[in-house]
Amino acid sequence: MLRRTILKAGAALALVTSLATVASAELSGPVNYIIPFGPGGESDISARLQQPFFKEKFGQDLVVSYQPGGGGAVGWASLNGLSGDGQTIMGVNLPHIVIKPAQKDVGFKTEDLNIFHMFHFTPDALVVTADSPYQTLEDLVADAKANPGQVTISGSGKASANHLAQIKFDKMTGATTTYVPFKGTGAAVTALLGKQVKAEWGYTTVGAAQGDAVRLLAVAMEERHPLFPDVPTFKELGYDMVGGAYRGIALPNTASDETTKMWSDMISEVNGDEAFRQKMLDAGFALLDVDAAEMDAFMAERKEEYLKDAREAGLIK
Amino acid sequence: MNFDHFLTAATPFNLCLALFGVAAGTIVGSIPGLTATMALAVLVPITFSMDPASALILLGAIYTGALYGGAYAAILLNTPGTPSAIATTFDGYPMAKKGDGDLAVALACFASVCGGLIGAFALLLLAPPLSKVALAFGPVEYFWLSVFGLSLIASLSTGNLMKGLAGGAFGMILSTVGVAEISADIRLTFGSQTLISGFGVVGTLIGLYCIPVLIDLVAVPDRHLKVEKDVKSVRIGEAFGLAMRSKFNLVRSSIIGTLVGILPGAGGSVAGLVAYSEVKRGAKPHQKFGEGEPDGIMAVESANNATVGGGFIPTLVLGIPGTPPDAIVLGALLVQGVRTGPTMFQQSGSIVYTFIYGLIIATIMMLPAGLLIGRYAYKSIVTIPKAVLVPAVGFMTIIGTFAIRNSISDVVIMLCLGVFGWVVARFGFAASPIVLGLILGPIAEQGFVQGWTIGAATNNLAGMFFGRPISQGIIAFTLITLILPVFMARRQTKLLERNAK
Amino acid sequence: MSVSTSQGQIGSLLTSAFFMLAGAATLYDAASYTDRDSQVFPQTVAVILIITAGLSLLTRLLRPSDRGGFGAGSWWRRILLVVSMLVACFLMPGIGFLPAGVIAFAGGLIAAMHDKWTTRTVLLYWSSGAVVMVCFFALFKYVLNVPLP
Repeated sequence: MLRRTILKAGAALALVTSLATVASAELSGPVNYIIPFGPGGESDISARLQQPFFKEKFGQDLVVSYQPGGGGAVGWASLNGLSGDGQTIMGVNLPHIVIKPAQKDVGFKTEDLNIFHMFHFTPDALVVTADSPYQTLEDLVADAKANPGQVTISGSGKASANHLAQIKFDKMTGATTTYVPFKGTGAAVTALLGKQVKAEWGYTTVGAAQGDAVRLLAVAMEERHPLFPDVPTFKELGYDMVGGAYRGIALPNTASDETTKMWSDMISEVNGDEAFRQKMLDAGFALLDVDAAEMDAFMAERKEEYLKDAREAGLIK
Repeated sequence: MNFDHFLTAATPFNLCLALFGVAAGTIVGSIPGLTATMALAVLVPITFSMDPASALILLGAIYTGALYGGAYAAILLNTPGTPSAIATTFDGYPMAKKGDGDLAVALACFASVCGGLIGAFALLLLAPPLSKVALAFGPVEYFWLSVFGLSLIASLSTGNLMKGLAGGAFGMILSTVGVAEISADIRLTFGSQTLISGFGVVGTLIGLYCIPVLIDLVAVPDRHLKVEKDVKSVRIGEAFGLAMRSKFNLVRSSIIGTLVGILPGAGGSVAGLVAYSEVKRGAKPHQKFGEGEPDGIMAVESANNATVGGGFIPTLVLGIPGTPPDAIVLGALLVQGVRTGPTMFQQSGSIVYTFIYGLIIATIMMLPAGLLIGRYAYKSIVTIPKAVLVPAVGFMTIIGTFAIRNSISDVVIMLCLGVFGWVVARFGFAASPIVLGLILGPIAEQGFVQGWTIGAATNNLAGMFFGRPISQGIIAFTLITLILPVFMARRQTKLLERNAK
Repeated sequence: MSVSTSQGQIGSLLTSAFFMLAGAATLYDAASYTDRDSQVFPQTVAVILIITAGLSLLTRLLRPSDRGGFGAGSWWRRILLVVSMLVACFLMPGIGFLPAGVIAFAGGLIAAMHDKWTTRTVLLYWSSGAVVMVCFFALFKYVLNVPLP
């Protein structure tokens, strides 16, 4: 009996190690993980959180480098020219990779990107300062209806997740707010904290980073975020808004199916780690597990929704 | 905050890390194209296996060192090693050309240490109240700050005002090329995919400053820098004396640097420009700024190192990174499980204070390390035969520009800009106004568009742009900077006329 | 050669004219932007550029002088320096970073060498060049993980 258990355990161990060697045999050294933005944003933070778990599980370093430019377009346009041997990966962001190529020729198309995993999203959230007169979402909507255009709301960039959220929200509520674009979430939050604007279209991560200094009026999730049990969802308040910015990782499209599969499995494994999930949740992210097999369906659905929203908003023709 | 944290910071291991970090940072900073951001990004994974405080000390030391190292290339090659050292070239290179390069490097070291210390002590003692500065600065204030920075063009281009202004405007147009930062248009690429990424600041700096120097160097057989026959071995004493005489300038520039560093949208290059503008405004008759005036170097170098401490104030207190290196440190903190933001000083106080003390220690270490490396850098630049110096620097510009975005087209753009910059400089359009426009253009544009949007929404455009006290203050300083030199010049000519009679 | 046809005079006029053209091109391009926010700034700056460059052109026309110009110095050295660096860039994806670097280095070295070549300088300069290049290459590629071709 004991012998059989040992044998079984031994076989399992052998299987595990052989699987592990198959998986990591294809990684021949440190991996170049390109973030097509500057440091400090949500893409950077989540990549930094992945780093130690990846190293621990697969023994290789993820080396994060930044290639900012054109709201990510520069990086994505260069991705398919890089080597597809699995040693180079790049972060991708929705809705950027859908909206940018739909607006103008930015050197890449959404379909060209070989996305193998979408691992998290940052749900949209409407944020005000802790001492703001807006106690609830209804207070803000009422003010915006009474004084059309006077409610200024900061956000990161134009034709971005924040901007789409603002347009969608205005349409749903019938209120008129003014969107003030800033360079990145950090600048938009600074403007909010400095009371240059009355509210900010941000993400749940803003609530996590700023703590008591801000109040979330609502989050665009199906259910409440575990970090903010007291903050209602838009759905609860009667507005059908669920969404945010989705982030994933892509390989150059020259990568073989095996390499893509290997990467998809590796990131799935990191994403399945309880400690990793907890760190992500603590930082305000919401996790997502879309691997390579489910990617096409996921992307098709997202793309349709974003293009519809952007068209209605007049951002694309 | 107590003495324990200082002792935690001052372990032998941490001292070694600080020394290593400062030395490595100085070298990184002195190579045009290698930025503190890059060095830190590469080092972050190493710090995961370290104790958080030691990791932070290493990162902080590299950052501090890099800002000082940027001065070497600025002084000896007329090429800012980092964007923060742009204004160091104004007086640094002329000094080096006169044969005072060693003095200039030593001055930069004293000034950097002074600025770094004042910035770090502001972080240690005044962080929570000072973080309010970051919040008081709205879009309009950023707009006026950039206008103030641009007013420096007027005083930089005496006798060539129109050409200087045209250069500045051209620089601002260069800054808009590519995908617009906050709106969603693609501008001025004329269909080219290469131009979508726009003109990066570091690549443009290398092109506009370094390539013309190389082109001029090869054309004639003269030496690169003038060397005194009897090379004085060390000029540290002389530099120290000069620094002591300019105490007021050093302290004022350090305070300017700390304050500008706190502003998340500005950074070291703006701090250096503002400090330079201020010291130049108060110039005494015997001081000739732009022709190798030691006070110019000291103002810029103390200001840009003060932004290290200043920049960490919003990073640690508000969770809003002031500069890209700050953002990387913020990311490293997050992975270590340290929550930044308003409660950080209470909850994670010990790590924060150990880090701040570490920063102070690293800044002090910069004095011996910086003087030593500086002397070596100066000696090698003057003794290396020109025939080797030129291709070595040329190779460095290629590899450095490539490394910014791993792009060969960036290198080609850099070379083309270099040739362009050399040609137009030959006909009176100097590089500095163009670079000022490039750096300040985006700040001006974003501030203007945001201020206009908010002002129009609240039906108060005039009040938005002219009614806010900080804006009024900056406008007043700008006007003084512009009008005072004209007024003084007129008075001087009148005096001369009277004397002639 | 009269002042009004000197290199400095003609060159100054041409550069001023170039900057005016750049301003005009900006105005032309800005007309096609869809977002008013991205239009205002380039248009304002382009107008400033055209006015200032125009004024400098005008003053130079009214008061010709021979200030400015390329100055003395050898043209083949300047051109060799820049061209060798450009050639290195275009060859880099094909032949790799180091060999391309050698081309740029060789061009610069020959362009900057004003003294007579001796056996000693040949050996010394070329070998120090090799050391510099290999050191930088190793630093960037292996320490900083820059994917050099």
